[in-house]
Amino acid sequence: MTFRRIYVLWVLTGVFLLGLLFYPVLPKVNLQSYWLLVGMTALFYAILASSWSLLAGYTGQFSFAHMAFMGLGTYAAGIMIRDWGLTPWIATIAGVLVTGVVGWLIGYLCLRLRATYLALFTIAFAEIFRLVVKAEVKITGGPNGLEMPPYQRPEAFDRLMKAILPYWDANQYVPAYYTMALLFFLSLLFMFFLVRSRFGLFFRAVREDEEAAAALGVHVVNTRVLAFVVSSMIAGLAGIVFHHFIGLVVPDEMIIGRMSLIIAMAVIGGSQNLVGAALGAIFIHFALEWLQQIPMPLPVLERLLFLESWGFSVDLQAGLLRTNAWRMVGFGILLMLTLRFAQNGLISPILDWLARKEAVEEVAKRFQAQRDMGAVDAVQPVTSPANPTDDLEAEGEKA
Amino acid sequence: MSRANGTLKLEIRKVVKNFGGLQALKGVSLTIEGSQLVGLIGPNGAGKTTLTNIISGLLRPTSGQIWFNGERIDTLRPYHIARKGIGRTFQVTRAFRRMTVLENMLAPGIVKHPYMSRRELEKKALEIMEFLTIDHLRYERAGNLSGGQQKLLELARLLMLDPQLIILDEPFAGVHPKLQRTIYDYIKRVREQGKAIILISHDMESIFTLSERLVVLNFGEIIADGPPEEVKNDPAVIEAYLGRDEEEEHDLRRAY
Amino acid sequence: MEWMAPNLFPVAWMSVSSTYVIRLILEGLLIGVIYALMALGLTLIFSVLNIVSFAHGEFYMIGGYVVYVLLNKFKALPGPAALILAAVVTFTIGAVFERLFLQPMARGQVDRPSEYAILVTFGLSFVLQYIMLAIMGPFPKKAPRFFSFPKLDLGFLRTTRTTLFLGEIPLPGGRIFAAVIAVLALMAILYFMYRTWTGWALQAVSQDRNAAAVVGINPLNMNTLAFALGGMLAGLAGAVLVTVFSWVPWVGVPASAKSFVIIVLGGMGSIPGSLVGGLILGVVESLGTGFWPNPATAQAYRDVFGLIMFALVLLVKPTGLFGRKL
Ligand SMILES: Nc1ncnc2c1ncn2[C@@H]1O[C@H](COP(=O)(O)OP(=O)(O)OP(=O)(O)O)[C@@H](O)[C@H]1O
Ligand SMILES: [Mg+2]
Repeated sequence: MTFRRIYVLWVLTGVFLLGLLFYPVLPKVNLQSYWLLVGMTALFYAILASSWSLLAGYTGQFSFAHMAFMGLGTYAAGIMIRDWGLTPWIATIAGVLVTGVVGWLIGYLCLRLRATYLALFTIAFAEIFRLVVKAEVKITGGPNGLEMPPYQRPEAFDRLMKAILPYWDANQYVPAYYTMALLFFLSLLFMFFLVRSRFGLFFRAVREDEEAAAALGVHVVNTRVLAFVVSSMIAGLAGIVFHHFIGLVVPDEMIIGRMSLIIAMAVIGGSQNLVGAALGAIFIHFALEWLQQIPMPLPVLERLLFLESWGFSVDLQAGLLRTNAWRMVGFGILLMLTLRFAQNGLISPILDWLARKEAVEEVAKRFQAQRDMGAVDAVQPVTSPANPTDDLEAEGEKA
Repeated sequence: MSRANGTLKLEIRKVVKNFGGLQALKGVSLTIEGSQLVGLIGPNGAGKTTLTNIISGLLRPTSGQIWFNGERIDTLRPYHIARKGIGRTFQVTRAFRRMTVLENMLAPGIVKHPYMSRRELEKKALEIMEFLTIDHLRYERAGNLSGGQQKLLELARLLMLDPQLIILDEPFAGVHPKLQRTIYDYIKRVREQGKAIILISHDMESIFTLSERLVVLNFGEIIADGPPEEVKNDPAVIEAYLGRDEEEEHDLRRAY
Repeated sequence: MEWMAPNLFPVAWMSVSSTYVIRLILEGLLIGVIYALMALGLTLIFSVLNIVSFAHGEFYMIGGYVVYVLLNKFKALPGPAALILAAVVTFTIGAVFERLFLQPMARGQVDRPSEYAILVTFGLSFVLQYIMLAIMGPFPKKAPRFFSFPKLDLGFLRTTRTTLFLGEIPLPGGRIFAAVIAVLALMAILYFMYRTWTGWALQAVSQDRNAAAVVGINPLNMNTLAFALGGMLAGLAGAVLVTVFSWVPWVGVPASAKSFVIIVLGGMGSIPGSLVGGLILGVVESLGTGFWPNPATAQAYRDVFGLIMFALVLLVKPTGLFGRKL
């Protein structure tokens, strides 16, 4: 058996899944609630980034309301629990349905038109939704946020989990982490199958050439609306589940800056690939966390920019916020550079390269060679075997 | 591939299309009944592509109607018309460039046969691709294909829809003679399967040999319609073609 | 208000209400002029580069901060000088960004240019927001007013130092001043567009890039100019409003949302559309807010009316009022 790159991918996937599973007991994490929270937040962002790239990377449509949909679902669920007395489990489903309906309405409004319109409308929608949530204190709790009661778990379930994982009840964030991890895994799996299915084919065809796709019978608007609704519903679901564990949702989680961060994560990871975007989110979230551990030489920075001399008072709280802001500037610049020089992101190309069959490359290379010799159109067909996949597999083995 | 039955009927009724102040089609009426190969010729800017776009639903006519098999289709969306059995190619090729050749084929295949298994669809796609000599390129990104190969891909992709009527907008333009031969054979074979074809071309030689009926469009109006032999000698046609640009004159001389 | 609505109806409600309505409309027009100025910038960018700048609000934000910083640092600096410097700064940012990130697009060096344009301008807005957050901090700032009315009393038209009275209708001086500057800027830019050679060149490029290139206009330079000018107009809008509203690093987000509503309402790429659209949005917002039943939440709903209008336009006539085509 010869070495194939796909094996590397399998090994990496295995390592990643093991890491996901045993993260709470990794040496540095060691069941501390702080690091568990960091981990589950990273997974929350990973779900958001990958569902955003389902829309952006596969259909070429951009929603700037992804965080707003996250918030919409969460607020809808929270309000239904508070006012109608729904249980958190049922409210989760209801909240996701609300996101779906609103997503469908907005999708139908904008997706008949070209991509810019969805971007324009969602950015306005997101900001205005946030302002309204902030203002309607009686309904949403306003800037102080809305309480999200925790999920009720049957005791038997807890006992079972404790039997499997001895540290299950070490900390309230352990079950929370595992729930997010499961949600992350399942949503990624779901989106993965979606893009492998016929819908994925339609998403891409519509993105490549809307008119040609329509002329071949693909329903352009429905295809896009489907992607938008699915992507928004996953955001809503992630928001609801995450905030049930956090216990509170505040409107400022939906600020455009947060949305920008999700986009930066997806683009830097690579929005053409769901896993790339998710990994981008995880890496960036941990990177931000790690950067926070390093004391930023604030005076140096401030002096560097001649700010002191401009007479701004620097109090400690604001100073901290500013150094964090500089970190975000760094990621913003990385986002722009990635867009400009590595449109497929920094992680996706590696994954794609590992996943691409050597045999396919072999074939591609051969025809490239023939083309270089100038025999472009005169290429004779190779004898075609009955099963296309087998033949490539075989060629790969030979090579 | 299923044989199209003989009931096919396309009626274009007094179609007018304005682009701002420019009238690209001035009341075109044309009926195609049964499977025929209709050649559509006319000088540059005559409105051939515009007519194609209107039939396939990408443009709405300013006035006039289009009926297909007893159903009005000019109000339908393009995807709907495609599913009704009208397929078309584009004058400038429009492959899905970042998808593989096989994926290009599968998209319309799934549309037409939602319940067919992937394997069967692939088999069907491969048969068509083999005939068009692009089967060896199936895992290549369509964008990497040469211009001529992309043309072949478009022709192949079209058949996955099992259309009854095929509109080919200049399939021979910019294609190496060897590939032209392949396309020529393709048209003949599709014709034998009983599909109707509207063939737009500036290549007089092939259009005169292939078409059973020839329609001449000039400045948005049909100026001749009939068997190729008749149309060839129609004074109005000669008038419309002569004294236009050299290339066409040259084409015409070759044709006569 | 006898001079407007003769008291046919013998109720005080009517006269109060009509004064109120007129006041709301006037206020709407005052702010609408500034919206129009900002939207005109976006229109200019769209018609020449065929992209929408998602960083438009950040130019607005930076224009405001520049004026704030200058007026704070140099107390003696005359207001108009600060405005000009704000224009220069935003123009420069726009030009540099266009050269670095948008020009490759025009040169065909990026894949999927339309998607790239959306994301890269959004990336710019991200960077600018956080840079300003880092520099200015998160707390609201308000620039000192650098203009006060001379005391005046012409009966119907009276002024105090800060307010102008039209009959009984008080209009805040800061807004009047801002609107006047915006009108002057609008006139200047329209003069530039329609009466100067460079303006014609810009229009030529917006109508037909290739034809313009053939007659010797360099479309790439026109791109830079249009983007920088567009950013500058947003910067000016911010510069005149920083004395009216309090300023935070994300103040540009609702502002850009307003411009988006306006350009869609007016029709993408239409100059008259953005002027009319700006005034309409100003008046609609003002009336909507004025009649909102709950005054505590009225300000938050100010933008909702724009959003509803946005949705209606998309639903009914996506080409907008003066739109050419999609
Ligand atoms: N989308 C459009 N907007 C404005 N004018 C158009 C548009 N499409 C076509 N036209 C005009 O309509 C007329 C007919 O164009 P059309 O493309 O149908 O010609 P054609 O017969 O296909 O020519 P050719 O042989 O060059 O392909 C031309 O004058 C063209 O400029
Ligand atoms: Mg044509």
